[in-house]
Amino acid sequence: GLKTLHLGSCVITTNLQGIRSGFSEIRDSVQAKDEIIDVRILRKTQSLQGTKPADQCCLLHHILRLYLDRVFKNYQPPDHHIFRKVSRLANSLLTIKKDLRLCHAHMSCPCGEEAKEKYSQILSHFEELPPQAVVVKALGELDILLQWMEEA
Amino acid sequence: DGVAVLPAPQNLSVQSTNMKHVLTWSPVTVPEEIVHYSVEYQGEYESLYTSHIWIPSIWCSPTQRPECDITEDITATVSYSLRVRATLGSLTSTWSTLKHRFNQNSTILTPPGMEITMDGFHLLIKLEDLGPHFEFFVSYWRREPGAKEHIKVVRPGVLPVYLETVEPGAAYCVKARTFVKAIGRHSAFSPTECVKVQGEALPL
Repeated sequence: GLKTLHLGSCVITTNLQGIRSGFSEIRDSVQAKDEIIDVRILRKTQSLQGTKPADQCCLLHHILRLYLDRVFKNYQPPDHHIFRKVSRLANSLLTIKKDLRLCHAHMSCPCGEEAKEKYSQILSHFEELPPQAVVVKALGELDILLQWMEEA
Repeated sequence: DGVAVLPAPQNLSVQSTNMKHVLTWSPVTVPEEIVHYSVEYQGEYESLYTSHIWIPSIWCSPTQRPECDITEDITATVSYSLRVRATLGSLTSTWSTLKHRFNQNSTILTPPGMEITMDGFHLLIKLEDLGPHFEFFVSYWRREPGAKEHIKVVRPGVLPVYLETVEPGAAYCVKARTFVKAIGRHSAFSPTECVKVQGEALPL
């Protein structure tokens, strides 16, 4: 059924299975275009699981904002099929981000030092790479982000 | 052909039942001509982050009929903008946009059709196939005072479903409702159906 994400005191439910199935339809073709294979943006050292629960909501909120502001927005889909699938992902992740914003409004999504530090590391990994290449890589790394959420 | 400007389609509306969504509009008629239509959509993400971008509907860009099954275009539980324009040869109308954005969580959920059958002393239920979005909550009990009500969750595609081994002479009742996890809503229960098992009740 629906997946319940426990992110410290922020608890949300989401159709993660639906998002995962949407992503799996484009994963191979997106990842095949990732030319930078020896670098990762989302690394184990900044994972949700390795973050203390109180900071997990804030970290995920910032990562989703990065994806919505700078990945989906700048991704150039090769065809309408991929375009529709990416739109589905973007709108689904937007739904999660809106839920996290509700937690923020209810003071259950604090941003501690750990969340800030880990997000800034992720951002620096992101900004070290060429603009168009990093968008393709980040989209391919949704695999990792979805796994982090599935384990939350 | 005497048509300087092609009028834009009017009266756009969406009918949505059991997660099937159909966009309709008033046809644009030009005597002895076939008018085509193109449908495009924007999810909430596109509206907020890339408002200049519209996505062609998977089935209706173009189409000849004044309606469009947008079920496969609506893929997230967010609000969607929809627009339609008419085309006739080189003539193209302006876009008409649906007045109120559509969200699939407003779909009408109807109680599921069901069929109760017996296979020997096995009580079975066959449920209406409503597609991959739907799970079914089946509630069944033996019709006698103080009987316990049992609930069984049935996933899509698993039909018919075994409910219980019944006893001769007893009566059993069943009702069902749907649940759509993508929108977190369920339908009303179907009317209760009861069946009487053949044979003599077993001595106590």
